[in-house]
Amino acid sequence: MLLLKLIQSLVKTLHSEGTPGQVAAGLALGSILGLTPLLSLHNAVVVGLIVLLNVSIPGAMLGWALFTPIGFLLDPLFDAIGRALLLGALALRPLWTALYNVPVVPLTSFNNTVVLGSLVVSLALCVPVFYGARLGVTRYRATVAERVRRSALYRAMTASKLYALYRLFRPE
Amino acid sequence: MRLFRWKAIVPLLLLGALVAGLWILFADRMAKRTTESVGTTLVGAKVEIDRMHLDIAHSRVEVRGLTVASPFEPLENLLQADLLVADLEPLPLLEKKLVIDRLAATGLRFGTPRQSDGRTVGQSDGVMGQVERWGQQLQVPALQLATGKISLDRLDPAQLNTPRLATALAAQADSSRTAWVSGLDALGTQAAVDSSARMVERLKGAKLTDVKLLGDARRTLEQVKRTEERLTALERSVTSGMATLQASAAGLAEARQRDYALARGLLKLPGLDAPDIGAALFGRAAVQRFQRALYWAQLARRYMPPGLLPRATPGPRRVRRAGTTVHFPRSNEPPAFLLKSADLSLSVASRGYSARLTGVTSDPALYGRPAEARGTAPGFRLAALLDHVRATPRDTAAASLADVALPSLRLPALGARLEPGAGVVGFRFVMQGDQVQARWTVTSDRVRWVRDSAGGRSSIGDVVWRAISGISTLEVSARLGGDLDHPELAVGSNLDRAIADRLRAMAGTELAAAERRVRAQVDSLTDGPMSAARSKVAALGGEVTGRLGGQRAQLDQARRALEQRLPGLRLP
Repeated sequence: MLLLKLIQSLVKTLHSEGTPGQVAAGLALGSILGLTPLLSLHNAVVVGLIVLLNVSIPGAMLGWALFTPIGFLLDPLFDAIGRALLLGALALRPLWTALYNVPVVPLTSFNNTVVLGSLVVSLALCVPVFYGARLGVTRYRATVAERVRRSALYRAMTASKLYALYRLFRPE
Repeated sequence: MRLFRWKAIVPLLLLGALVAGLWILFADRMAKRTTESVGTTLVGAKVEIDRMHLDIAHSRVEVRGLTVASPFEPLENLLQADLLVADLEPLPLLEKKLVIDRLAATGLRFGTPRQSDGRTVGQSDGVMGQVERWGQQLQVPALQLATGKISLDRLDPAQLNTPRLATALAAQADSSRTAWVSGLDALGTQAAVDSSARMVERLKGAKLTDVKLLGDARRTLEQVKRTEERLTALERSVTSGMATLQASAAGLAEARQRDYALARGLLKLPGLDAPDIGAALFGRAAVQRFQRALYWAQLARRYMPPGLLPRATPGPRRVRRAGTTVHFPRSNEPPAFLLKSADLSLSVASRGYSARLTGVTSDPALYGRPAEARGTAPGFRLAALLDHVRATPRDTAAASLADVALPSLRLPALGARLEPGAGVVGFRFVMQGDQVQARWTVTSDRVRWVRDSAGGRSSIGDVVWRAISGISTLEVSARLGGDLDHPELAVGSNLDRAIADRLRAMAGTELAAAERRVRAQVDSLTDGPMSAARSKVAALGGEVTGRLGGQRAQLDQARRALEQRLPGLRLP
């Protein structure tokens, strides 16, 4: 069921009205949601950006769905990176101390090794994810998109209620 | 293409409102779960809350029905509280810091029973594991009164000297015999005697002018005399050797006495000294109390560390990896946790008391003052000070409680239970750096003794029971001192002398019987080798002396026969 939803999301995203750039931007922002622990304050900002900015929301959902398992797999790496940044890098200590004692910032749990490590990695991956996704969507639409659009499976998917909801927030 | 999706603002605001509404609805539940989780991690035992309410408008938190399980006992609560009301400072909350201006706790009860095991930390984990290992190095002697037997492990013959000496003596006798018999054979006594007899025969018809014969006779006489001299030398050697062997044979008896002493030393005698008995009776209970005090002191040091260095703690539990949360305290900023003051209304043994707690903080260096606890009431005194402001922490606590029903004490060594009744219990604990000093005292004048029906009975146990069951007062004092790595425990009580005297009287008979068993065991291992060695020495003396005497007589006779013949042939 989950896999089916993922395929549905993938197909709809690739055939949405959004430009490849909008889809790629949504995917990049969604990757931050997937790679970092979801219930963190910075993710509220990311969700706000996804909704407010004219990016592909299905792209963001696809990015979230794709990168969540990767996030789980990479947790040990995030932990190590966060530890190195918080405890290993002495030069950064004044910065962390200042942030720790500023209102609201500690609520982001930036001082947790997994949160900081995953946030740093996801921000670093944003740019390659954006460019890679944009290139992929462009090539897809130029080659196989039309054949898929004519298929019975695609028509069944676009008839679903979820697609109707999507159309409310489709990129303009 | 526009950058912003303006039509999404309203749904986003609606989403925000929905999240806020959900938070308001579930905030109490989330706060309750978080508090339970954090509390459980801190204490090392389950923390349960019936109901928790966040009053955001008044920056107030109410906790009803708090239960904290004991990290030491499986079916016991550390404390229960009916109601806790905390007034918070709102601004530090924006920095994820919890500053409680005032906490009022009512209906605090300690040591109440519970239905399930509330311990969450394994006995070998973390601070609990450290404290357990620390307690194990405090040697508490065992008092084996349940059987009252004085036991001796199987005696190893290799540990005894007598069999080894006896075997060596037998070997020495054998080698001496060989040497002496060879010496006797080498004397040539028989040849000298035969030669003398032949010469006496030749001299019977001899003339005075037969100079050659006379010369031969003189040489034969000289030969007999030389043989006699060698025999005398051998006799001296034998006499001296026999004296040595006989002395060694006599020494076996002394060696056996030493073996008796050695075997007696292997007897497992029960401790008969009063301090040993005190430690055996109340040592375990004292260690348990010192361990608990040390556990809380070590937890306080872990969660209230001195200094302002970044501090790592385990991250929050979640589906993703918890990671490590690092705290970065800074001067002139509020600590991550601070309880400025707490008024506690508590109940001990159905009597109400009050106490006050101040300055409990996660960053004592930021707060600048030690944490204090005070409580005074008729018959009740409590004072504690956790000074972690300086680099070397100092933790002190003293408490005394009078006229309360003291908990019963099981004394497995006596096969009995002590019901102290109403009495006075006192506790003092000081830990500065790694140095620890502690004292636990119990005093009661209405003691009741209950004999454990499950325990084994013995004659010694019966006597000791008669000695203690007549004692109606109890004074126990346990002291702990030294550094944490090498602590020393001393325990004494008014029961020690009574039990020690009774034990000595009883153990006299037991000791005599045990000594008899020990001597019999040593005898069985030494009698054989000793008899063999002694008989060899005795036999050797008889044999060699007899042969020496026989040869001496032969030589004497031969010399006299020659000398009788020779004067008549002497030249003028």
